[in-house]
Amino acid sequence: MGLLELQQNLVGHKGRVWNVCWHPSGESIASCGEDKTIRIWTHDKSKWVIKTILTEAHTRTIREVSWSPCGNYIASASFDATVAIWDQKSGQFECNTTLEGHENEVKSVSWSVCGNYLATCSRDKSVWVWGMGVDEYECEDVINAHTQDVKKVKWHPDKLILASASYDDTVKIFDMEQHTNHWICASSLVSHTSTVWSLSFDRTGDRLVTCSDDKTLKIWQEYKPGNEVGIPTPDNEPIWKCVCTLSGYHSRTIYDVDWCKKTGLIVTACGDDIIRVFREEGDSDIHQPTFSLVCSMDNAHTQDVNCSQWNPCIPGLIVSASDDGTVKVWTYSD
Amino acid sequence: MASRFSGALQLTNLDDFIIPSQECIKPVEIQKIKNKVGSKIKVEDDGSYVEMTQDGPLTKLQKVEITLSDCLACSGCITSAESVLVTQQSQEELLKVFQEKIENLQHSKDNVKFIVVSLSIQPILSLAERYKLTAKDAALKLSGFFKSMGADMVLDMSVADDFSLLESAKEFVERYKCSKEGLNNKLPMLACSCPGWVCYAEKTHGNFILPYLSKTKSPQQIMGSLVKYHLASSKGLSPEQVYHITLMPCYDKKLEASREDFYNSLKKTRDVDCVITAIELEQMLTQQEKNLEDFDKGEIEKPFQVPEQLTDVLLGHQGSGSGGYADFIFHYAAKHLFEESDAKLEYKSLKNPDFQEAVLERNGKVILRFAIANGFRNIQNLVQKLKRGKSPYDYVEVMACPMGCLNGGAQIRSQDGMQPRELASKLEIEYHKLPKSDPKQNMLLKHLYDVWLEGENSEKASAFLQTEYHEIEKMNTAISIKW
Amino acid sequence: MLSFIRKLAINDKIRDGLLPNRAMENAEDILKVKNQKELISKDETELKESIYDLLRTIKDPEKPQTLEQLDVVYEDCINIQEATPGGITVIRVEFNPTVPHCSLATLIGLCIRVKLERHLLAIFKLDIYIKQGAHSTEQEINKQINDKERIAAAMENPNLRELVEKCIKEEE
Repeated sequence: MGLLELQQNLVGHKGRVWNVCWHPSGESIASCGEDKTIRIWTHDKSKWVIKTILTEAHTRTIREVSWSPCGNYIASASFDATVAIWDQKSGQFECNTTLEGHENEVKSVSWSVCGNYLATCSRDKSVWVWGMGVDEYECEDVINAHTQDVKKVKWHPDKLILASASYDDTVKIFDMEQHTNHWICASSLVSHTSTVWSLSFDRTGDRLVTCSDDKTLKIWQEYKPGNEVGIPTPDNEPIWKCVCTLSGYHSRTIYDVDWCKKTGLIVTACGDDIIRVFREEGDSDIHQPTFSLVCSMDNAHTQDVNCSQWNPCIPGLIVSASDDGTVKVWTYSD
Repeated sequence: MASRFSGALQLTNLDDFIIPSQECIKPVEIQKIKNKVGSKIKVEDDGSYVEMTQDGPLTKLQKVEITLSDCLACSGCITSAESVLVTQQSQEELLKVFQEKIENLQHSKDNVKFIVVSLSIQPILSLAERYKLTAKDAALKLSGFFKSMGADMVLDMSVADDFSLLESAKEFVERYKCSKEGLNNKLPMLACSCPGWVCYAEKTHGNFILPYLSKTKSPQQIMGSLVKYHLASSKGLSPEQVYHITLMPCYDKKLEASREDFYNSLKKTRDVDCVITAIELEQMLTQQEKNLEDFDKGEIEKPFQVPEQLTDVLLGHQGSGSGGYADFIFHYAAKHLFEESDAKLEYKSLKNPDFQEAVLERNGKVILRFAIANGFRNIQNLVQKLKRGKSPYDYVEVMACPMGCLNGGAQIRSQDGMQPRELASKLEIEYHKLPKSDPKQNMLLKHLYDVWLEGENSEKASAFLQTEYHEIEKMNTAISIKW
Repeated sequence: MLSFIRKLAINDKIRDGLLPNRAMENAEDILKVKNQKELISKDETELKESIYDLLRTIKDPEKPQTLEQLDVVYEDCINIQEATPGGITVIRVEFNPTVPHCSLATLIGLCIRVKLERHLLAIFKLDIYIKQGAHSTEQEINKQINDKERIAAAMENPNLRELVEKCIKEEE
């Protein structure tokens, strides 16, 4: 069994904190929430301190914040239907671009690994892909594949593939058609019985984990055409199969899940105020993997945990955000 | 289930696949009768509701019917479910109308409708491809099909296409001149024959973008005016005695036909009564277990024909399969504004093949910049650039469907697994094989300007060839907010 | 002791007000709160009564009567469910909308949630459901009124917020 220790409690936000994101260097944290601000925290000697507070870009809750892969930009998605892009060209973080077009609340924003594309999604059921035009971001495509709100978008760790999680209980995978630059739905992952709130790819991108309002976690494996196990691939397209369901562990909606690219551990943020860590069994068969719960931190927060993310560089370091208005940094050890 | 509406319409919540009872908030007018005792409502076995008064008869309660124009006005939901589109625009309605006519004829009733069907070129090409016929044969057999159902006349729409092109071009030249004189800069002018685009503009960008839209009616609606107000009177009929059906490549055209602007409240008649699409026609044929080829060739009539000008059965235009607006207006403007009679028109694809640009240069300077923008993503970028004042164009042919109308939402999908783009390209090749009409040389147009419209810039011309747009406010009353 | 607990409980509420500046510096405090929660959740009947007191005065969005008068809520509509592993009380409220109209049913759900989350002096998780069989699209409505993201976004809409505030306002 592992142990989760609280390193520090970061206070400052007023109202619920919806999301936290590690800087790609692992050395700073951006958080956002109901108070319409983005707070950037950095490590100073051995403590986390507030470095900047970004305000005035949004008129409603900021739902998700994301650092670009190069670490020089921040994208923030808001209920005011816009996405703000912040850069430090002037020395300070400033919002110099706003992406408009969604009909209502934007729920998620994600940078592609190459840094050339952004994906956003909204309650208007669409997923938008944005790319750099001549001197500003332009809409590359609008994807209308989901039948309900889209809660989360995440890019594949190394290919130009996009995954989205939705209120319609499905996850969809998209890739770009070469000569038309249209983004089309390559796969639909159907198994959850309620809203899928979040997803995370594993290190290779061949697997992903999804979390849902149905209180389960599901592990999915990609099977390419001609795979050795003989899984049929209609239309000669890869398909994703649910190879493991973790149920009975969470007692309320699971709002976030993150699969550590370094250690392979999975951390979840749940509506029962508990942060849980799962580990894949060593002798696990890739087509029928088994995971076990190695740590469960009761009352990690005093209210729903909305987000939990592994540090991209330092193994075992987790940051979490909650309805209780705090951001907490934890260390996990076996 | 694939939507037959364009992507632009889907995005603005105009296609929600939600049943009316969940989201629809149309206020219903209830006739209140003073009762001493309240009435009871019972559900019959067939699902209908009857109201029982104490000692009176059972009165069957009418189901609230939502018409497409209610939906358009509300900016709430629209669904492709039959139950909502049923009142005016489905195959059932069409069959009912034909049925009624046959019955009325049999019983020598007075109010027999004169049924006119107008065929647009894109669905003809779509059906031709589906049933392996030439475009011309497909059109003639369609005529045979409709005539066998009870239609009185089957027409092609080339005269309406020409009107729309010519009026748009004239409008552009006027606007260009005004903007150069510093008055009222409303460039770029944006095409408006695509109702998906128009609905999106009205609902999302309202008063900002509407002034840029061209005021010329789309070919469907010009045809509506022609049939109801010229053809009808030439046959001694009043507009409401004519039932006008159009064959179109998408469902968005159904919304266009339902607009209040195209409804004559005095005569209680629409310019276009029913829009049927290529896919629906295929369904009708399949239901009757027939192939289009089985029908005899009918006639595509040319009621407006002038004796000096013989026309082919089917005509196309230079340029895109969506009507060739950018092409025609480019050449017209080059001639009328810059005296270039043989301007070279070459398109260059920008970001993606659905966004193309063409320029007119003189002495190394660009004097006209035109574009064709198809598909929602390109519309989105166009509108955003416009909002920031960064649009370099003078005219943009805007269509909601990628690849334009040949790839409309209700065009028939390939039977052999061809991708929609490939199929649309194939249809485009067939389209360009058709003899081309030149609106400028069209004697018929001149004739109609004289005989029907009393001049080119007359009030009648304005009334019949132009239209308006209305910003649609989102319903903001708390109860109607969708959250 | 009880008043101290209540004070802490109030301070933990963040629904739409501002969190007062209260720093929880270490794990010790977490343990303290947990103990206090156990005290509160023990008195179930008292809890149900407090909840019902808050529900019955909520006004219907359309009619001038309260939810109690319209039988939309009733004493039996509140249930205390199994607590979370961390010991948090789970409350389940059921309601019976009078009209099959969806917008109104979801609005009532919204009012119930906001009223309880704002005024109930306890730490709890809340699930709201339409009485089974009372509505043709109850599944869709239940999903919507239990999705906290949808609720949060709805309350940021000024017109909607105004209506909800009007419905849940306690008459002096």
